Amino acid sequence: MSLTAERPTVHATTLVTRVRHWADVAPERVAMREKDLGLWQEITWAQYWDTVVDVAHGLLALDVGIGDRVAIHSENRPQWLYSDVATLAVRGVSVGLYPTNPASEVAYLLGDSQARLLIAEDQEQVDKALAVADDLPDLERIIYVEPRGVRTYHDPRLMAWTDFVALGRQHRDAHDGAVERRIAEADPDDVVTLIYTSGTTGPPKGAMLTNANIDFAIRTLADEGGVVSPAPSPDDVVLSYLPLCHVAERLFTTWFNAGAGVQVNFAESIETVQQNLAEIQPTIVFGVPRIWEKVVAGIQIRAAKASPAKRANYRLWMGVAERLGDVLVARGGRHSAVTRAVYAVGWVFLYRALKRRIGLRLARYAASGAAPIAPEVLTFFMGVGVPMHEVYGMTENSAVATANRPGRIKVGTVGEPYPGTEVATDPATGEILTRHGGTFKGYWRKPEATAETIDADGWLHTGDVGEWVDGPDGSPGTHLKITDRMKDIIITAGGKNISPSEIENSLKASPYIREAIVIGDGRKYLTALIGIELDTVGDWAQRQRLPYTTYRDLSEKPEVIELVGREVNRVNQRFSQVEGIKRFELLSKELDHEDGELTATQKIKRQAMEERFRDLVESMYEGSSR
Amino acid sequence: MSNALTRRPELYTTYAQDMALLDTPAKRNSVAALAVAALTVPWLVVDPVLFLFAQGFALAIGAIGLNLVTGYAGQVSLGHAFFVAVGAYTAAALTGDTDTRFVGFGLQLVVGLPVAGLVAGLAGFVISPLASRLRGLYLAIVTLGLVFLGEHLWKEWRSLTGGLGAGRPGVVADVGGFRFDQPGEVFGVLMSSQQKMYYLCFALLVVFAVLARNLARSAVGRAFGAIRDRDVAAEVLGVPLAKYKSIAFTVSSAYAGIAGSLLYTLTSVIEPASFNLLMSVQYIAMILIGGVATISGSIAGAMFLGFLPFVTRQAPALFPWISTDPALRDGGFINVFQLEAILYGALIVAFLVLQPRGLFGLWVKVRNYWKGWPFSY
Repeated sequence: MSLTAERPTVHATTLVTRVRHWADVAPERVAMREKDLGLWQEITWAQYWDTVVDVAHGLLALDVGIGDRVAIHSENRPQWLYSDVATLAVRGVSVGLYPTNPASEVAYLLGDSQARLLIAEDQEQVDKALAVADDLPDLERIIYVEPRGVRTYHDPRLMAWTDFVALGRQHRDAHDGAVERRIAEADPDDVVTLIYTSGTTGPPKGAMLTNANIDFAIRTLADEGGVVSPAPSPDDVVLSYLPLCHVAERLFTTWFNAGAGVQVNFAESIETVQQNLAEIQPTIVFGVPRIWEKVVAGIQIRAAKASPAKRANYRLWMGVAERLGDVLVARGGRHSAVTRAVYAVGWVFLYRALKRRIGLRLARYAASGAAPIAPEVLTFFMGVGVPMHEVYGMTENSAVATANRPGRIKVGTVGEPYPGTEVATDPATGEILTRHGGTFKGYWRKPEATAETIDADGWLHTGDVGEWVDGPDGSPGTHLKITDRMKDIIITAGGKNISPSEIENSLKASPYIREAIVIGDGRKYLTALIGIELDTVGDWAQRQRLPYTTYRDLSEKPEVIELVGREVNRVNQRFSQVEGIKRFELLSKELDHEDGELTATQKIKRQAMEERFRDLVESMYEGSSR
Repeated sequence: MSNALTRRPELYTTYAQDMALLDTPAKRNSVAALAVAALTVPWLVVDPVLFLFAQGFALAIGAIGLNLVTGYAGQVSLGHAFFVAVGAYTAAALTGDTDTRFVGFGLQLVVGLPVAGLVAGLAGFVISPLASRLRGLYLAIVTLGLVFLGEHLWKEWRSLTGGLGAGRPGVVADVGGFRFDQPGEVFGVLMSSQQKMYYLCFALLVVFAVLARNLARSAVGRAFGAIRDRDVAAEVLGVPLAKYKSIAFTVSSAYAGIAGSLLYTLTSVIEPASFNLLMSVQYIAMILIGGVATISGSIAGAMFLGFLPFVTRQAPALFPWISTDPALRDGGFINVFQLEAILYGALIVAFLVLQPRGLFGLWVKVRNYWKGWPFSY
C-alpha cells in the first residue's frame, strides 16, 4: 500500500475508507470467503481493497460521474461488494436488484433509477436486461460476471467482468490516484445507494441513503451498545444469503464487514443455505421469519423420521427445551442456576448435536427481523440455546429503530431504542416514529412520497402501529410492541379493530402452514386464506399413506383440510371470540413472485391477493349476509 | 491467514485439508488412542497372545493385498496362497544359512523382506496378462490353477522347500546382528522375541496400510473402482484395462510376498503343503468378513480370523460337549477343529447374507448412528 503516505485527506468516513482502513491495518486477514470448486476460497482485506480500486477505476474509465447510478443484479458474491463499494468510491449511487425480479420489474427499477450501468450476474440476468434494454435510454453498459452462455451474445452494450477489471487496471496505471481523489472529495450528504422498498401496496420506491446515514447506522448498530453484545469483531463470522439489495442483509454483510471487520461468507445459493450454515457455523446469524420457520419445520420433519430411540430422546429434551424457553422468556433471556444446569445435561444429549446440524453451534447472536415472527418460533430457539433476538428497523431509517438486547429480551416486542436515537409513538394513531441520523434523504424522484414520510420536525413515519410495554425487569414502557402495519389493520363490521398479522403469525408458526392471509375488513367475521407448506404436509401425507400428485391435489384432500382445521382451532383458542377464524380456504397454488402475489422479499401483496382470490373469499362469506 | 476458522470440521479452505486422511478431530483422537493401545499391548498380554497379534498383523498385510486386487479392482483371485508362498520361500532362501542342505544365502532380513515382495510382485506381473483377458469366474478358475501348479512345484523343489511333510526352516529375522526372533535387550530393556516381532509386524502393517490407503484414494484407486464396477465402461472412460489390472495384480502379489515372509519369520518351519486352496480361501474370508474394498476392514478381518482358533480352543472349558481330542475319546460331541471349520463356514455365510460389507459395514452403521444424532440422516 504505497499510497498511504500521499493520500488526500477525506471529508467523510465512508464504507470505502473503512475498507481501506482494514486493508491498511490487517491486509492479510480474511475479509470474505466464497465457495468455489468445493473450497471456501479466502479473500483478504488487501485483495478486497485492490479489486475495489481496480473496479472503481473501471467505472471511471466508463465515465461514471458523481451521482450516476450503477445497478447490481446478482446473487450475493464478492463482485456485489466490489461493485457496491467501488461505486461509492467514485461517488456514484448503487442500486440493488433482487435476483428474482422478473424482466418487467427489472425494466421498472432500471427505468426509475435511470441507471447508466448494470452489473448482471449471469445469462439469466443479462437476458432479463436485454429483453427490456431498448426501452431504457439511460442504460449504456451491461457488465456480466459469469460468461457462460453470454460469450456468444453480440450486443454492443455487453462487457465481461474480466475485461472491465482489466480496463480499470489500465486506467489505474494511466491515472493513478484518480479514485483516491474522488474518495477524498466525498461528502457525508452524498447519496450512495438506492434501496428499493418491497412495495406491498404500490410500485417500489427507491430510498436514498447517504454516507452519513450509513456511518450513523454502523456507529449505532455495530459499535458497543449496538445490536450485538459484545460488539462484532474480526473474529465474528456471518453467512451472507439473503438478498443484498435488502437493507437488513446490507447491514449484516456490507456494513458489519466494513465497519467491524466481520468475516463474510457467501452462501452458494438459497438452496444450499442449510449445508453452508453447517460448514461455516457462523457466530452472528440474521434471518427473516420465513427462514427461522423453515429451520424449525426441517428439524421437526427430520426428528419425526428418526429411529425410535432418537425420537424418544428428541421428545424428552425438546419438552425440557420448551420449559427452558418459557423460563428464559420470563427472565428476559437470562438463565437461572437451575436452568443452566438442566441445559448443560440437555446439551450433551440433544442441543449440542442439534445446533451443530442446523449450523448454529457457534452462534453467539441470532436475530429475526424484516417481518413479524411468531413468539413460538423465538421460544423454540431460545430453549435449545440459540440466543435469538427480534429486531426492528426499516430501509427508511437505515435499519436503526429498536432491538431486543441480550439479557433484556421481551418476546412479542421488538425491543428497546438504541442510545442516541429517538423512537416515539404518535399519541393519536399509535404510529411508530423515529428520528436520528439514519433517517433517509428521501425517495428517489418522489418528493411527495418523501413529504408524507418525513414530517416537518424530522420524524420518520414508519407506517407501523405500536405500543410501549413494560420490560422483562418490570421497568415501565421500555419495550416497543408492534401491532401491525397501519394499512393492514382490520376493522370488522362490528367496529372492532383487529391486527391480522398477529393471528397470521400464530398460524404460520404451525409447521404445516406456509402462508396465511386473514381477511375481515368490513365483514361480520374473520376468515383466512391458507397456503400449506408442501414439504411438511407432503411428508405428513406420506406417513399417513395418503397418495398425492401436485400441490393443488394435496391441498384439496379432505384429510389435509382437516389437518389445517385442527391447527386453526388450536390458534383460535389463543385469541378472543371476535379474533377467531370462522372459516378458511386452502390456496390451490404456491404463491410466487413471478405471478405478482409476493414481493421480492416474499411478502404478500395483500390487495393483489384479495383481488385474485375474490371468489374464494366471497364463498367464505356466503350465507352470512343476514 | 491470521483469522483462519477453527472448530468447524466441515469447512475446507484448502485441498490439503479436504484430502487429509485424518480430517476430523474424532478421527485424529481415535487413531491416536488406537496407536497408544497398540504400543502398550506387548507389555500387558502374555507371549502366546502376542504371537497371535503379530500373526494377525502379518495376515492383515496379505489381506490388504488381496483386497486391493479383489475388493478395489474387482478381480477375484484364488491364487493368493501361491504369492504368499513365493514371498515366504524367497525370504527364507535369502536369509537362510549357507551351510545347510537347503538353498540359503545368509543375507539380512532388510534384504530378504523387500526382495520377497519384489519377487512375488514380479510373479504377479507375469500372471497379470491372463487377468486382462479374463474376468469373473474364469479368472477365479485360472488363479486356482496357479495354486495347484504351485503345490506341485513346492512338493518337488526339495532343495528349496524340503519337500512334503518335512519342510524347511523359516525366515531368519536378523538385521545387522539384531535378532527379532530371539529374546534380547533393547535400549536396556529385556524383550521377548514375541514382543520384538509384535513391534516389527505392527510397524510394517502401519506402513503398508497407509501405502495401500493412499493408493486406493488416488487416481489408481479410482481406476480400480471403475474397472470393478464395469470394465467396459471404464475402458470407454479412458482407463487402460491391461495397465491397471497389471498394477493391481503386481501390488497385490507384492503385499502377499511381504505377508508370507513375515508369517514364516514367526513360525520356525515352512511346510509346503500349507500353501493350498484353503489358505487362499482363508484370505478371501478375511476380506469378506472384514469388509470388501476397505483397508481397515482387511485388518479387522485378518485379526478376527487370526484370533478365531484361539477363541475356539477356549470353548471346551465352557462347553463340555466340545472336545479337545480329535478322536472324541473324552465323550465330546464335536472337537475344536471341527468347531473351527464350522465357524469358518458359518461366519462367511452369515456375513455375506446379513452384512455384505463386513465388520467395516457394522462399524459404518454404528458410526452413522451417532453421526446422524439427533436425527437418522
